[in-house]
Amino acid sequence: MFTTNDGSFFGEGESVVGEKQSRSDFSEAARRRAWLIGAGAWAVPGLGHLIQKRWVRGLFLGGVVWSMFLIGFALGGHLFTIGGREQGLAVLVPALWMVGDLGSGLLYLLCWLLNLGFLETPQATARVTFEYGNTFLVVAGLLNYLAMLDAFDIAARRKQ
Amino acid sequence: MTHLFWMAVFSTLVAIVFGVVAKGTNRHRLIYGLKVFAQFMLIALALGWVLYFLPFR
Repeated sequence: MFTTNDGSFFGEGESVVGEKQSRSDFSEAARRRAWLIGAGAWAVPGLGHLIQKRWVRGLFLGGVVWSMFLIGFALGGHLFTIGGREQGLAVLVPALWMVGDLGSGLLYLLCWLLNLGFLETPQATARVTFEYGNTFLVVAGLLNYLAMLDAFDIAARRKQ
Repeated sequence: MTHLFWMAVFSTLVAIVFGVVAKGTNRHRLIYGLKVFAQFMLIALALGWVLYFLPFR
């Protein structure tokens, strides 16, 4: 079991203790709250931690995901969706990228509703950083999944 | 240079997240984040040199 130190970098209460609470004394309301926090953390990067007053952690995680998302677009990347030109099993390739992109939560959904950032233009693909942009966008979503799980674990008292 | 710069940015941002969500004391997590960053950079550079000598064209 890990123990906390003086908390010089993240502040007191941010360090992980690694204690697991038994399910029996975890009320239904607390469980529902944990799921809601998880959903909030997915929808808005960083929100899950900020709701739980994990300010530093929330700002770091949210800041990284938002930054990667915006940098991805700045580098010429685009978001993925299914229903393009691919047929058969080839659909799985953009679907995998889409699952990653979808991790950005409302950022992805907003872009999808506004039809923003899905177009693969010749000008964008010609840029030397085009693939970097795609990678930044996908990894932003994947990291937000990680942040979501972290927020859920904290809410479920699996982590401190 | 552009590739190296954006690779460093990518490594930094991912290492921050890995360090923040890791278990352990703040010191452990800081060291873990630095290790992740170093691993990203070193492995990418090593792979880059390996691929440089392979005759793909």
